[in-house]
Amino acid sequence: MNAPLRPELSAPFYQPQGDECQLFEAAWQQQLPVLIKGPTGCGKTRFVAHMAARLGLPLITVSCHDDLSAADLVGRHLIGDGQTVWCDGPLTRAVRQGGICYLDEVVEARKDTTVVLHPLTDDRRILPIERTGEVLVAPPGFMLVVSYNPGYQHVLKTLKPSTRQRFVAMSFDFPSAEVEQQVVMQESGLAAAQAQQLVTLAGQLRRLSGYDLDESVSTRLLVYAAKLMASGMRPALACRTALAEPLSDEPDTVAALLAIIHTQFPA
Amino acid sequence: MEDIVGGWWDKLVKRAAYRGHAAAAVRLEQVAPLAPVFFRAMGGDPALALRSTVGTEHGARRRWLERLSGTGERVELAWSDQQAFYLPEKIELFADAALNRELYFWLMALAASNRPDGDWLNANRQAAAACLAAMPGLAASYQRLVAAHLPQRPDPARLPPAEAAWERAIRQALLQPQQALDTPPPVRAPYPLPLWLHPAPPTLEHTAPSTAQDPQQSGPRSKPQQRQRRRYRAQRVVQDERKNGMLMIFRAESLFTWDEYVKVNRHTDEDDDDNVAAAAEDMNRLSLAQDAHTKGGKLKFDLDLPAAAWDDTPLGPGLLLPEWNWKQQRLVDDHCRLQPMLPRDAVPAALPERLLPLARRLRRQFQALAPERTRKSGQECGPDIDIDRVIRFLAERHSGVAQSEPGLYQAWPPGERSLACLTLADLSLSTESWVGDEAGRVIDVIRDSLLLFAEALSAAGDSFGLYGFSSIRRQEVRFQVLKDFAERYDDSTRGRILAIRPGYYTRMGAAIRQSSRILLQQPAARRLLLIISDGKPNDLDHYEGRHGIEDTRQAILEARRDGLLPFCLTVDREAGDYLPHLFGHRGYVVVQQAQMLPSVLTRLYAHLTA
Repeated sequence: MNAPLRPELSAPFYQPQGDECQLFEAAWQQQLPVLIKGPTGCGKTRFVAHMAARLGLPLITVSCHDDLSAADLVGRHLIGDGQTVWCDGPLTRAVRQGGICYLDEVVEARKDTTVVLHPLTDDRRILPIERTGEVLVAPPGFMLVVSYNPGYQHVLKTLKPSTRQRFVAMSFDFPSAEVEQQVVMQESGLAAAQAQQLVTLAGQLRRLSGYDLDESVSTRLLVYAAKLMASGMRPALACRTALAEPLSDEPDTVAALLAIIHTQFPA
Repeated sequence: MEDIVGGWWDKLVKRAAYRGHAAAAVRLEQVAPLAPVFFRAMGGDPALALRSTVGTEHGARRRWLERLSGTGERVELAWSDQQAFYLPEKIELFADAALNRELYFWLMALAASNRPDGDWLNANRQAAAACLAAMPGLAASYQRLVAAHLPQRPDPARLPPAEAAWERAIRQALLQPQQALDTPPPVRAPYPLPLWLHPAPPTLEHTAPSTAQDPQQSGPRSKPQQRQRRRYRAQRVVQDERKNGMLMIFRAESLFTWDEYVKVNRHTDEDDDDNVAAAAEDMNRLSLAQDAHTKGGKLKFDLDLPAAAWDDTPLGPGLLLPEWNWKQQRLVDDHCRLQPMLPRDAVPAALPERLLPLARRLRRQFQALAPERTRKSGQECGPDIDIDRVIRFLAERHSGVAQSEPGLYQAWPPGERSLACLTLADLSLSTESWVGDEAGRVIDVIRDSLLLFAEALSAAGDSFGLYGFSSIRRQEVRFQVLKDFAERYDDSTRGRILAIRPGYYTRMGAAIRQSSRILLQQPAARRLLLIISDGKPNDLDHYEGRHGIEDTRQAILEARRDGLLPFCLTVDREAGDYLPHLFGHRGYVVVQQAQMLPSVLTRLYAHLTA
């Protein structure tokens, strides 16, 4: 966390589902902050990493949690040598350097924390630092990206409407079966036939979300399963380890998931 | 002697004719926990419930031994309809228990992908083909099932030609479901095919609800049901109103079987038949008729004076409460008598199945409300350094004014959410009004809301009470205790919520005063009084209009003065006229569509308590 990701020569693999790459690029050019919403493991973080590499920008990721304070983002004084030393937080660092500051799962942060983002997200694009009296003006290369998962947000954890309204928003979902199969094959090196079975299985399991599962199987979990299978593990066992067990703790539900897995990969 | 020998013979011949594998039997209970999940994943309609089916006559040729023993004429086959999917109570078709279990899963996959169009043969064949194409793992188990089942089927070479054609078609469809085939000419029913769905599911013939009032229940509670999920083949019949019971309306030589519906000129049997349950098991079809009367006699249900035997169970002698007289501008002491009561006929019940998904979601959301920890700075000890205080301390020490070391740490003592919520629901007769086909009556919406709200609150860990009220003049304000603060929220409280019924009028003031009293006894920092209403306060004795409004307003002012937070949710669209006066313009919410009440209620609670 907080470590700037230097642009690599080859951007991390991302399989576009639509015109999200163009959208993101346009938002960057117009200096608009972006909000990305979508279920767990559908590729939000990968997408941001991919775009940062494509645009040649450093990426600073902050994983938000409910204990994240404004000082954690902006910076704080530290004690050293009998005097205090100011230390930039990740947000301040991104503003100084120019780059993408990515706040992952932003709803997890307390509501008062996200308010420090406000002056950065309108046309002023400034970051006032109260404790030092400094006012930073964001360079053209700076971009703010936040993401959250609308699936498990609960009643109290939603973005304040005043925060939401400052972003252009993109909605992500699990890719279509064909695209997902491509992703699984690309990420794991699994053969096409098994990848297709895996994606069909994912389609079956996703019918359960909201009824028996709180959240459905993610593309990330599929890739995990595919990697285990590609390494030579028995498909049924790989799916049990990577799909059934992570999705539920209830023995009955796990047993049912196994029965569903066995319709694709016999035990 | 003859009896005993007959019994032996019966046992013997039945055992000889019996073709199941009892040792390898797999019962529905064994797969029932997995079945709904599996069915949904296969693409089955998530609204369908799981039921066990009953045997239906298949009408096919039986072996002579079966005919001799009188067995084998019924078979339990799976099917699905608009309400549920039905699976056999047990499967003992194969000697291998694993195969029997696989058959359950195969039937569910088939039922989930079955589209009831076309004839039985082709519909099943196509559904099977679709399943096999999509699921290679299931295909492997299907091959095993077919291989095991084919030897059990009659040999086409030994059947009459028409039946043989059917048998051959079925065999081909089983082996190669992908291949289209023509339906052979109709014939007496082919040998039952347990791998496929029921050819003619015994559906309910008339499912439309009857318009007549439900007959009033009476007598002892129904016997504990042993197989609640069992599906009986039922038909609704119009009650025969003819009084000429003695007229011969049938040809004497045609014998009635005991499951045909005959109107006897007698409303109910006087004596309890002990083995009705056993008879129901054996009947082809249960006939249900709307009868205007039930045992125990008829009772005139008077709106003003409920007969004691029919009424809710009163708790204690009742309480005297004051009422506000706005003309005199004073509180008249002991003006109303409030009677706490328990709803009649409340039996412990689980949460209705249709509310489960929503309840699950609410529980998850509200668990997050459970006590949060908050950071406290300036502590003597704690896991984190309080940087701000350290800096100040160092600066002060530099300038020489520092005293002894202050608290320089941050601690995380577990926070307490000290909150009590009392929900008071209006159960007056006006809640009987209809809001929509989906939602039903207002009272149904209120019932669902209370159930879901209680689920959410119990997940949040806040203490809460649920009450309902209605009134008949000032002498009887009926205060239904659905869940007391001290009680656990469990099946018996759920049963009480399920048993609420609309009736009488709305004397809101007294009910609010009593609720305030209860709430004030709760040791919580914040106390929320939620009122769910559907209209203005009114009662017979001058309580309608200004008097009722002013009394209610006074009761709410008293509650506010005592430090409670009253809030009103209403489904009355004209509530904007009087509610601001009662609750203040930020103290109420009008729910435009009654169906939205459960979600509004829970969202509101989160807002009010956040």
